[in-house]
Amino acid sequence: MVTNTRPSRADYYRALAGSLPSRALVVTSLGNASYLWASLHHAPENFYFEDAMGLTLPLALGLALAQPDRPVIAVEGDGALLMHMGALVTIGAMNPPNLTILLIQNGVHAASGGQALTNATLDLAQLALASGIKHAENLNAPSALAAGIASAEKRDGVGVLVLATEPDIEVVRPPISLDPVATKHRFMAAIEAPRYIPTLFGGGMLERP
Amino acid sequence: MTTSREALEAHRPSAVLNSLKRLGFGTVVSVPDSWLGEILIRIDQEPGMTLVRATHEEEALAIACGSRLGGVRTALLVQNAGVLSMGAGLVSLAQRYQFPLLMLVSYRGTPDDPVFYHVPKGRATEPVFRGIGLAHACTDRYRPIGPQVEHAATYAEEASCPFALLMGREDIQW
Repeated sequence: MVTNTRPSRADYYRALAGSLPSRALVVTSLGNASYLWASLHHAPENFYFEDAMGLTLPLALGLALAQPDRPVIAVEGDGALLMHMGALVTIGAMNPPNLTILLIQNGVHAASGGQALTNATLDLAQLALASGIKHAENLNAPSALAAGIASAEKRDGVGVLVLATEPDIEVVRPPISLDPVATKHRFMAAIEAPRYIPTLFGGGMLERP
Repeated sequence: MTTSREALEAHRPSAVLNSLKRLGFGTVVSVPDSWLGEILIRIDQEPGMTLVRATHEEEALAIACGSRLGGVRTALLVQNAGVLSMGAGLVSLAQRYQFPLLMLVSYRGTPDDPVFYHVPKGRATEPVFRGIGLAHACTDRYRPIGPQVEHAATYAEEASCPFALLMGREDIQW
């Protein structure tokens, strides 16, 4: 059967869940980007955005630089990307090879109800390449995602995979509490991040647990 | 005769950098202004520190949150105008998730700043900080700067929040 329908976010997420690299850290943007991922593959190594639209990629960059030995996968939407396109330039400049960016290109601001984008037809892979990112490609099928994720092991820098996707406007009910502080503490405990050890008169340091 | 510590404090930007190193700051994220330019070059030359030059202060804030999430003590070096432009991310990311971040902020637009066009930002800075609940303090030019940086960093960690230290030119311009 021939169909013009783009794959759904869930189609890509199922492919992602099946191809996650060992010890991967996953950062997901607000709305269904987080709710659906929590429904399909909740793990302590997931960092869910509650809001802060447009800041997923820069946060993932900071995380990738701080955790260079672990794969970091960031899921961001096209609308949120347009809010902070400069982040692509910073990511291209720092170029951490452990960072893979999945851009959901559905052509709308899905998280806020499906409003039109300023420009829904941009070639986001070309945009990433022009921003200094060496590896970027457009994907049209979830079956191609596993190979794109696996290629990270051989890359010499950041990778961007643009996923052509149908908008998902209906809000997914998250299966767990996505309390921001709990998310942060759960994540940092899972990766055994150094924690602050106070001293009575200041000068405390971060130390490994 | 001055001690080496006194000599260090005599050049306040050196004392700022030394405090960041001593306290284990591994990453600095910045959008520069004219006062910050040279100290960023020095930070970039430090073997134990990573400097990230961001394109926008709200982006810089998110990079810093990610770095701290990954377990690296992280400071932001930005101008006060940059804090004004990162407001949404500050409240909905850094404060909402309780990220401890040291923000060293060049305080432009005060009577000590000769560049007249910074005045509107200077006038708005502290009222806006109070309005969004951003913990902050102004440096005291008559006290050593190193301990002031350390106290700001300690506050950020122990209160689990961003803390902005508003700095004069003599504090931060190399």
